[in-house]
Amino acid sequence: MKKFRRKGGAVVTRLSPYEVELLASLVAQLVEMITDGEPETYAQPASDDPFELWAQDLASDPDQPETHEDPVLRRLFPDAYPHDAVASSDFRRFTERELKTKKVTDARIVLDRLGATELGTVELRIPQAEMQAWLRTLTSVRIAVATRLGISDAESAEALAELADDDPRAFMASVYDWLGFAQETLISAL
Amino acid sequence: MAGMPETEGGPPTPAGSTAIAERPTEESLIQTPWVTIVWDDPVNLMSYVTHVFVTYFHYAKAKARRLMLQVHTEGKAVVSSGSREEMERDVTAMHEFGLWATIDKAES
Repeated sequence: MKKFRRKGGAVVTRLSPYEVELLASLVAQLVEMITDGEPETYAQPASDDPFELWAQDLASDPDQPETHEDPVLRRLFPDAYPHDAVASSDFRRFTERELKTKKVTDARIVLDRLGATELGTVELRIPQAEMQAWLRTLTSVRIAVATRLGISDAESAEALAELADDDPRAFMASVYDWLGFAQETLISAL
Repeated sequence: MAGMPETEGGPPTPAGSTAIAERPTEESLIQTPWVTIVWDDPVNLMSYVTHVFVTYFHYAKAKARRLMLQVHTEGKAVVSSGSREEMERDVTAMHEFGLWATIDKAES
């Protein structure tokens, strides 16, 4: 891909068909993971009716674990009170559903925009109003990829640059680099 | 000053009501401020973290950069302070942006 650049009120670049498919697949996997395979339950609430929202809340899993077992989810939805497990659990119960809905909404904006490139034949154009959704989604995807690659600190991040070409992680590491490039140039084009 | 209707004998008071001042909770009496802490992580780009501080907190670019560098070099930084409710809002927003943030009581 080329760097993102400013064009009119939007930021644009051109992606290859392969890049469009790769990014769309990573974002779709993120949605699957966040929603535990049930993305439709995290759609934006259709109304502001408090009873409907309340019903949704009651329908959510009451036996939600206090923290996530999956390291990616643990990083995307971290404990708010590191010294207070009960407060963290309460906070999670009151906020996590909305947080997940926002992440899914952001991801859908990205998927729609990727779809509009018709597999890269049309320029990718991100209007100003969708910029935060893109930046947040690229961040979530980068966090997911980095966690799977075992990046936990600066040293493990640097070690990735030294991977041999035949290392099984080499492909994911190149994807991680590509995502970083996309996000960095998107920010500098703002 | 124009536009304020004159009322005789001051503002009307509801008949038969007894004014009971809401009892302040212990917490608000002690005025414990809470803080939002952002922690260093190996994934988020420095430019992105600065962008988040400017976008969400409306900090000037220089202040946002200084906080970002503090996170980067010292491992964490207090990025906002206030009531517990306000800090829960800020932490949720940081989590939306993918930053690793926690709430704590301010060190006195």
